[in-house]
Amino acid sequence: MKKCDHVKDLILTDYIDGQVDKNIAGEIENHLLDCNDCRVFLKEVKSSVIFPLSQIQRLPVPAELWDRIKQNIEDENQAVSPLLEFFNKLKGLLLFPRMVPVFASFILMFVAGSVTLNTIQMQQAQAKDQGEYLVSLLNPTSTASLDSSDPGTPIEHYFL
Amino acid sequence: MEDISKDTLIRASQGDIQAFEDVYKASSSFVYNVALRVVNNREDALEVAQEVFMIIHDKLKSFRFESSFKTWVYRITANYAINFAKKNSRAKTVPFEESFGEGAVESDAHAQMDQEDKSKLVERLLGELNPDQRACVVLRDIQGLSYEEIAQTLSININTVRSRLKRSREKLMSLRKQVDYEKV
Repeated sequence: MKKCDHVKDLILTDYIDGQVDKNIAGEIENHLLDCNDCRVFLKEVKSSVIFPLSQIQRLPVPAELWDRIKQNIEDENQAVSPLLEFFNKLKGLLLFPRMVPVFASFILMFVAGSVTLNTIQMQQAQAKDQGEYLVSLLNPTSTASLDSSDPGTPIEHYFL
Repeated sequence: MEDISKDTLIRASQGDIQAFEDVYKASSSFVYNVALRVVNNREDALEVAQEVFMIIHDKLKSFRFESSFKTWVYRITANYAINFAKKNSRAKTVPFEESFGEGAVESDAHAQMDQEDKSKLVERLLGELNPDQRACVVLRDIQGLSYEEIAQTLSININTVRSRLKRSREKLMSLRKQVDYEKV
């Protein structure tokens, strides 16, 4: 009886679907030779479940399905296109080869300009320092005098 | 489902509508018929198939060819149809007793059961299974997928495939006995 239950489980699944290996299939077939109850069960499974389902016809796909899908795709593309167009324009503007020399010359001009400006500022500062020094030499009462009341470091105190 | 070349899939993923139509032609019969048997209603099947192809269209760009395209389509179709059927099952399922009420039995009693009747019977029997069981039965008995393919498609264990098929078939057998008994 226990063997019949096990065989019936296999008949309902792996055996009827051809998923068992040859050895197990052989064991089931040997059992079926001796067991009328399991033979009837197999016949019943085939006639009432497997056969009707395997006979079911595949229905043709309605022609309107592709029309609906195509329309949806077109609608989607139209909805996306203004945004996509903007990004494409932006991308084209940045990556367009003819614009590369323009951007490069802008960068070059900026670098050259900032270097020149820096040099001029440094020269002006140096000229100012030199002027002050010369004025201090010519005019001993000026604030830049060497005879300052506060000589600075302790060593300077010692010598002065 | 027919085979589709990698080149066609790449072109379709880049927005080539002609290539996508080729993808559609190769897979629409599978998608529509699985949807039809899982949701058990032609109008809903059309809606499900349409949505499945829109998902395929939108996600094709991210398809990396690591799994088979067929399995990918099987998975999208079966899962979308199951979810659709689960959401709509309460509203649309016709009780089995009502489908095979006295009127239905009487009208068929003296006539030979032709193909149309067989189809209706199968539709009604499938309608008695839950969407998960129905998907297993449809993929195995109607589409002929192996247990391994069904497990991959539904992302379930192979033993779950076995148990769902076993319970579904037991249920279908008992319903068939009920129909035969009522007709006598």
